[in-house]
Amino acid sequence: MPERDEIPPGTLYLLILKTLARYGELHGFEVANSIQHTTEDVLQVEEGSLYPALQRMLIKGWVTARWGTTAGNRRARYYQLTAAGRRQLTVEISQFERVMGAITRVIRTA
Amino acid sequence: MSWLIARSGELTRRIRTLLHRDQVARDLAEEFQLHLDLRAQQQTAQGSNPHDAQAAARRRFGNPTRLREQSYEAWGWRWLETLFQDAQYGLRGMLRSPGITLVALLSLALGIGANTALFSLIDAVMLRSLPVDHPEQLVLLGTAGERGTVSGFDVTDLFSYPFFQLFQQRNRSFISTAAMVSGDRAVHGFIDGRREAVPMQVGLVSGSYFSTLGVATIIGRPLDDNDNRVDEPQPVAVISDSWWKRAYAHDPAILGRRIKIDATTFTIIGVTPPEFFGVEVGEAPDLWLPLAFMPAVPPHRTCLKEDLEQCLFIFGRLRPGVSFTQAATEVNFLRQQILPGFPDAHLSPQDWKDLKGLHIPLTSMSGGFSGLRRQYSGPLRVLIAIAGLVLLIACTNLANLLLARSTVRARELAVRQAMGANRARIIRQLLVESLLLASAGGLLGIAVAQLAAPLLLRMVSAGRDVLSLNLSLNSRLLLFSLALTFATTLLFGIVPALRASRPDLVSSLKEKQSPIGAGSGTLLARSLIVSQVVFSIILVAAAVLFLRSLVNLANSETGFNPQNVLRLNLDLGSAGYLENDPRLALLYRGVEDRVAALPGVRAASLSTFTFHEGSWSGPLSVPGADSQVQVSADHNVVGNDYFRTMQIPLIAGRLFGSQDSASWPKVAVVSQQIARTLFPKDSAIGRHYRIADSSTEGDREIIGVVGDVKFEGVDEPPTPIDYFPYQQNPRYLHDLEVRYTGDDGAIAAAVQHAIHQTNPNLPIYRVTTLEEQVARSYTNHRVTAQLSAFFGLLAATLSAIGIYGLMSYMVSRRTSEIGIRMALGAERLHISWLVMREILTLVAIGIAVGVPAALLANHAIVSMLFGLTASDPISLLAAIAILVVIAAIAGYLPARRAARVEPIVALRYE
Repeated sequence: MPERDEIPPGTLYLLILKTLARYGELHGFEVANSIQHTTEDVLQVEEGSLYPALQRMLIKGWVTARWGTTAGNRRARYYQLTAAGRRQLTVEISQFERVMGAITRVIRTA
Repeated sequence: MSWLIARSGELTRRIRTLLHRDQVARDLAEEFQLHLDLRAQQQTAQGSNPHDAQAAARRRFGNPTRLREQSYEAWGWRWLETLFQDAQYGLRGMLRSPGITLVALLSLALGIGANTALFSLIDAVMLRSLPVDHPEQLVLLGTAGERGTVSGFDVTDLFSYPFFQLFQQRNRSFISTAAMVSGDRAVHGFIDGRREAVPMQVGLVSGSYFSTLGVATIIGRPLDDNDNRVDEPQPVAVISDSWWKRAYAHDPAILGRRIKIDATTFTIIGVTPPEFFGVEVGEAPDLWLPLAFMPAVPPHRTCLKEDLEQCLFIFGRLRPGVSFTQAATEVNFLRQQILPGFPDAHLSPQDWKDLKGLHIPLTSMSGGFSGLRRQYSGPLRVLIAIAGLVLLIACTNLANLLLARSTVRARELAVRQAMGANRARIIRQLLVESLLLASAGGLLGIAVAQLAAPLLLRMVSAGRDVLSLNLSLNSRLLLFSLALTFATTLLFGIVPALRASRPDLVSSLKEKQSPIGAGSGTLLARSLIVSQVVFSIILVAAAVLFLRSLVNLANSETGFNPQNVLRLNLDLGSAGYLENDPRLALLYRGVEDRVAALPGVRAASLSTFTFHEGSWSGPLSVPGADSQVQVSADHNVVGNDYFRTMQIPLIAGRLFGSQDSASWPKVAVVSQQIARTLFPKDSAIGRHYRIADSSTEGDREIIGVVGDVKFEGVDEPPTPIDYFPYQQNPRYLHDLEVRYTGDDGAIAAAVQHAIHQTNPNLPIYRVTTLEEQVARSYTNHRVTAQLSAFFGLLAATLSAIGIYGLMSYMVSRRTSEIGIRMALGAERLHISWLVMREILTLVAIGIAVGVPAALLANHAIVSMLFGLTASDPISLLAAIAILVVIAAIAGYLPARRAARVEPIVALRYE
């Protein structure tokens, strides 16, 4: 099993928003899986922590949810980005890039 | 804007989660489960055995309980849930000790209820604005301190109609001015041609009255200037909503209905809105008639056409930009310009002096005006302060109660804190409990106030028709009691909460009873008890003062003997008699003779006044004498037997007799004060004097001097009074006095029957005894005394409960100590004394602080006392004695319980 790193604090929203932007409609498990696959299992999300985050995002109106059925014929809640969610995604990305850029500069000047 | 929309969307979503909490929680649980199952399936597919797969899935998922909590937190309702939990917890705690809770609730309910009820009266009498257009612009000329008809040039509160007309034309300060007849307005009239005369309150007002106030009618139209032309007034009436309801049951076909008063039939043209009660607080007219009907409506006043007969109140709406002072200057200027210009104004040098020195003050009329306010603003202020102190005592009890409970709970709280509960949370929980208690107390208090308010109104009305004041619940009252509730919560809740949340964790957890219960907690509790004693001393001392003042009033010498006298009023005007009607003397004679002949009646007489009924007054002058000596006298027209009926002693000369007939020279009997002032050197008998009254010309000869009597009130000194016989002065004599022996009820019936034998159509009203009438004149003192006595008793009782509670608690805490003392041979009596000593020390400290405090407080009420000083030693001693006795009673039970402690039991408990 490859070595795993904690996700940087404050980026959980970014990861969820981006994942949803890419795949359209997903349920919680799919979001978790997708993040793992995309990062090639490097980033470790405590999977359950997705759900409080999703609840907060629902309240803030970044995502909407509807109940649907999985391939295995189970009831599941599918999340989808809203317009506000898309706007938030750009905000989060630019914020992240600003921070990363700053950190990168610090590392390079060594 | 978009932020606002986003916020409101967020709020709706939050509220939705709150409303569907269970569904949302189930959804979340299902989501968790799905995740775990899918993850486990994935692991199994990769070759793990099912059991390991499930465990791995759970491991990767994290702690579901914590995640669930975090999800719930996302909805933002945690605080509400914990509040709910705290409330539930508090409720259970209270129900566990129902006795204590009941006492707490009861004292809070009484405290908040008393304050709210008093506030409702204060609100109605002193605070509420008139329900008219921009009441703050309304201004009254004078202070409405005088009522009735007054002549003279030194009058500042009343005005004649001719003056009003000229003033209305000439003034520039007011947009609009209006006049209304002052004083008594009870008449009897006939509704729709019915045969029974009905009592009604009539307001005679100028045509500009409603337009000046800016009051519209809900049906029909208000009175206007056209209705009020002096030469050709229109017999129309506007009625109040409450009278529409009482007399006509809100019959929609009200316009055009007729009311006959004396000889005039008025047609109803309008109904005022329900909230409108006129401009006098507590005196709501049933109907308003054009002022020009003054001569036709009882009591047939003459000030409509007489330039110097003054019986009107004048008020106006200030022009914008005109200040109070500017308006006052103009009013006084016009007064001095108009009065001397009247053709029948023959001013003496003294009159000129009076007029020049005159200053008419202006009074804001935004809250209307009211004799009630004058009488009660002082007492109500004192009473609400007293009620406030009572509430404070109740709060102190509650604080002690909570303190005691929190000490008992110290271990529980310490455990919770040790487990990681934060201090804020514990303080909040304790405050929620206090709030719960206070809210329940507040609600009960409002209920108590609703019961007490009508009672209070009846006390204030004292035998009269109940004052028309609206004391029903309104938003301002609710706000007041809400504020009280929160203030009490903070007062009694915060200190125990702060203390309880900061326990010494280690010692609390070790939980051995502290040896002598003398921690800082009991020190706080003790000082609370001391402050209760201090407040109680202040309140009980005030109550004793007010009670003794009341007794002084009741025993004060009036100059006449009010015992065994029946008195009633006759509505002569409504029965068709005119003032100066020659038939009046005959009617009077008939009534007096018939009543005097009744068995049990010793003397009977008619009069214009007896006591506390207003006055007809004016200056007296002696022809040819030094005009510097001026006496203003109250005039009274009486029957020949008046002095015998009232038992006013004759000092010199003779009383009226049949020889003083209309055709003989006019005579008068004067009071000692007048005789002494007008004729200081020699006897007044046989001397002549004159009254300043344009309607009665000529001198009067003094034939007798009688003792001084009080006329306006028992708390005022006797006034100079002169008396005229009715044979020579055919005025209205509304009062009949009957001195009787035996049962007053039987006499009252017989007297009324005898009057109706003389004239069956003569309305009789206000049948009561003279004693009651005298007592009614100091109703405000009585109400103050009764309420302060009630509050004083309540304060003492609450303090007793406080002392009892604290001592019981201390005894129970000290059971083991007492056990040891007894085991070592202490006497039971000694143990009792130990407890009693504790109580007496606290009470002694309370008295030491309370007596100076009471002396200070008494200075605030000294103006409301009669025949007493602020430092009255008896009231202070009484207060001390009452407090000591109450404390001893309150301490007795705990002391006895302490003495009955069985050493073995106590020690085994340890």
